[in-house]
Amino acid sequence: MEKSKRKKHQKYQWLRAALQLFSFLFFSSAFTASFAGITYIAAQLGAGEKIAWTAFLKTLVGLCGFTIVFGRFFCGFSCAFGSLGDGIHTFYCWICKKCGKEPLKLSEKISEKLSAVKYLVLVLIVILCYLGVYPPIKGSSPWEVFSMLHAGNFRLSGHLPGMLLLFLIFLGMGVQERFFCRFLCPMGAIFSLLPVLPAFSLRRSRGDCLKGCSRCTRKCPSDIALPFDGFYETTEDCFQCQKCIGACPKQNIHCGLKEIQGNEIVFTLLRTGLLIALYLWIGL
Amino acid sequence: MQGLFIKTVSLAAVVCMLAGYNAVLKNREKEDEFAKLCAQVAALEKFIQSSQETQETESAGVYTDGEWDGEAQGFGGSITVKVKVEKGRLTEIELLSAKKEDAAYLSMAKEIIPAMLQKQSADVDTITGATFSSAGIKNAVAQALEKAET
Repeated sequence: MEKSKRKKHQKYQWLRAALQLFSFLFFSSAFTASFAGITYIAAQLGAGEKIAWTAFLKTLVGLCGFTIVFGRFFCGFSCAFGSLGDGIHTFYCWICKKCGKEPLKLSEKISEKLSAVKYLVLVLIVILCYLGVYPPIKGSSPWEVFSMLHAGNFRLSGHLPGMLLLFLIFLGMGVQERFFCRFLCPMGAIFSLLPVLPAFSLRRSRGDCLKGCSRCTRKCPSDIALPFDGFYETTEDCFQCQKCIGACPKQNIHCGLKEIQGNEIVFTLLRTGLLIALYLWIGL
Repeated sequence: MQGLFIKTVSLAAVVCMLAGYNAVLKNREKEDEFAKLCAQVAALEKFIQSSQETQETESAGVYTDGEWDGEAQGFGGSITVKVKVEKGRLTEIELLSAKKEDAAYLSMAKEIIPAMLQKQSADVDTITGATFSSAGIKNAVAQALEKAET
């Protein structure tokens, strides 16, 4: 019984990895394009220019709308940078396993504090854009370097700070699952500030949890203790990775709508399909 | 419940502020355009008067007529363009290929084309947010125009 459950759970994680790889290959610019929407708005406000309905803005509005309804499913299943981080982390854990070493992990206290840094990153970039000084220092943006590498563009002169930052981020991604998404991602900061409807975000049933069990929190890349049924708040750093759903020995975890567990293959494919339809409509 | 409520209200406030900002600018733009048109009409009247007095020959453009190709590096690869020169004036810029460019960025970058046509030169500012792609288009046009100048 236990074995078949684990097998089933593994199937979900493989599906997730496949969908992440798909988005990484074909829609890698979604996260940069949507954040370009933010920098675009800030730059236009700073210059006193009108905000036009550009492709960047469409991506931003589309992804924010999606996140309001479904939570940060985009982060967990479709963001190229998040997927890259998952890949690096898996690789690091695999190496540790081969060497027989325990992988390093940041303590919950430190990571809780670090997760406020992304808001600072967001505010800093927005201010720089507003003042009109962002484009010249774009060479220090690790995202820019990543997109260039992804596009097969290796003319990286003038991007040394960005490359250095990207390298440091890679190190962090190895040690801590979802390091960038949780601590540094300015787009993640925007998503965290959005009001997420409770219908499709994860909840747990109170009551028959095993005494002292914290398996869901330990499995969670963001160390989240999920809210109980009937709560309206959604934990900001939940990337909908669905690991907790399979980890719970009592299967207490489900969506705000109790009929849906949250990791059904049809439901996952439906959400991914919606995202892809959004990308195609924008023309990414 | 409280958190969700606060977030919803803040989001609505941000959206309303941006919409308001855009509406104000649109209004101002209309007024500006009106003033500009008035000035243009005045200038045209003056021009007609003066041209009636001295029949000037139409100033020809600086470029050689024909179709010219240009190529430059964009974000992910090379961008090629074709420019058309008629009566010495740059009349058309066509993007022949930009395969390695990202579609969303390219559609932003294309906004540089009308700017170049208006200025009759490739010497215009690149598009913020799509710097590489628009610089690629700009440099390709510059190369094509160089051919047209000789």
